[in-house]
Amino acid sequence: MAFAIQSASKCAKFTSVLVRQGSGGSLLSGVTKHAAMATSADVLPPSTPGKELSKSVFISQSRDVFTNLALEDWMYKNFDFTDHHIMLLWRNDPCVVVGRHQNPWVEVDVDLLERKGVKLARRNSGGGSVYHDPGNLNVSFFTPKARYSRKHNLDILAKTLEKEWNLSPEINKKEDLIVDKQYKISGTASRLGRSNSYHHCTLLVNVEKANLRASLLKNEHLHINSTATASVPSPTVNLSELHPGITMDALMAAVGWQYMKTDDLTKSDKGWRQVQKQKGFQMVNPSEEWFPGIQKIRDEFASWEWRYGKTPKFEVSRNYDIGWGLMQITMNVESGLVKDVHVELPEGVAWGRMTGRIELSTSVANQRFTPASFLLVEKALKTQKLHSLHSDDRRQAARA
Amino acid sequence: MENNVVSLGRKLEHDGLCFFVSCDFPAVCTAQKAPSASVGRLYTDKHEWVEVSNENVATVGISHYAQEALGDVVFAQLPSIGTEIKQHDEVGALESVKAASELYSPVSGKVVEVNTEVENAPALINKACYTQGWLFKVLLSNSDELKSLMDEDSYSKFLKSDAH
Repeated sequence: MAFAIQSASKCAKFTSVLVRQGSGGSLLSGVTKHAAMATSADVLPPSTPGKELSKSVFISQSRDVFTNLALEDWMYKNFDFTDHHIMLLWRNDPCVVVGRHQNPWVEVDVDLLERKGVKLARRNSGGGSVYHDPGNLNVSFFTPKARYSRKHNLDILAKTLEKEWNLSPEINKKEDLIVDKQYKISGTASRLGRSNSYHHCTLLVNVEKANLRASLLKNEHLHINSTATASVPSPTVNLSELHPGITMDALMAAVGWQYMKTDDLTKSDKGWRQVQKQKGFQMVNPSEEWFPGIQKIRDEFASWEWRYGKTPKFEVSRNYDIGWGLMQITMNVESGLVKDVHVELPEGVAWGRMTGRIELSTSVANQRFTPASFLLVEKALKTQKLHSLHSDDRRQAARA
Repeated sequence: MENNVVSLGRKLEHDGLCFFVSCDFPAVCTAQKAPSASVGRLYTDKHEWVEVSNENVATVGISHYAQEALGDVVFAQLPSIGTEIKQHDEVGALESVKAASELYSPVSGKVVEVNTEVENAPALINKACYTQGWLFKVLLSNSDELKSLMDEDSYSKFLKSDAH
């Protein structure tokens, strides 16, 4: 990458580390819990007895959202960040990533995404839905939970943009980075565990904005009642629109260097002197060879059970104008599966002999919910005719 | 505990509620009146609390300190009834201001009840973490685990120390 060459002299001290990384070795130095790692001869001993904190900037070589989420998860679960903080930079092919406790059917038009070839993923952190494509840089900050500080991390990013490109982003209440009081350039979310934590955020460099908007369109026919976390839509702007000098490579380099110049313990910028303490930039290949077990995690992230099955239980309905008023079909969905279905008829209308609220037993019960489940219920309803109980209406209907 | 009471009073005042009139934190009140009169609630160093009934069922929640650190909880992901859990297992998560905080069980056993009110209204965790805001109940499989937990006094000392 451009910045790697440009910074070759500064990077020289890390050559040995980089070589070892290439051979699949010292990347694993921070690992404590993973059994396969613990017994590996390649594992480097923990930092020097003085336990000085060092930092690395990892750059994922994958563009697959499920692989990158798996890499992030693997690191969160297996690394010990006590003496080694890590910034992971990653980019994805077009996808929408929903928050851990969100409802994908509320957030996006699931069928439309599929037709467009935009993947839908669910992450482990909280918050709302975001669109990613290779014009968006994801930055994950890994620290022990005790040193978790979103504000500090965002300060590093804001400072980078200020120093390099004279921008002055602000951190708003939601801890998004915004410019000109409202335009979002970065969204934040995080995950906190017993000992580890990560804070990750997006940085919009040059995303396809038309695709961003289209991917976050909703299915207006579905009315969903749920306790799932809601997204807060915000106007966005690409950094490349704010300063033509902000390219993806330039930003990755600038953010990485600023991270390494920063002493996380004192939260201060100590310049190039601080960089000497760090392990530098490392390209990482999120493969089974480097991260044993990552494939299984990737498969889980890509599974229906995680992406849809994890949706908090909800009630979804559709309204149908049947001429005599609105008929409503409602389904209760738990773990992504349709639990029960009922129809609510408008007053004065009957289905066979039944009126009002009618519980249906249909073939969609216990099946995976999709918007097409409604089509199946509609079909089931057609086995009996809807008719008005008012004689005038009946005559009219007969004439029609 | 004094520190806690002060900050609690401030917070609720700020929310326009009167802490001393309608008290959602009996433990805090108890501690205020008679610090030694513990209600039998035990705490972990990760700020979960456990209260055991006669039937060997433990009610689990998070402490006042934890709910304050989390901020407004917007979603509570709790374990399913019937799940067998081990002490320190990850059993769910609490989401607040875009952070998902993993929830760990302070005890081993079988989940026998979850607080559906909290699932529907997670703000109860902030409003009444020791009463209506409980999270789930576990039929204990190893009551020895309780010995390693802190009582009210030890926990308030722990909160004053830097260790947490």
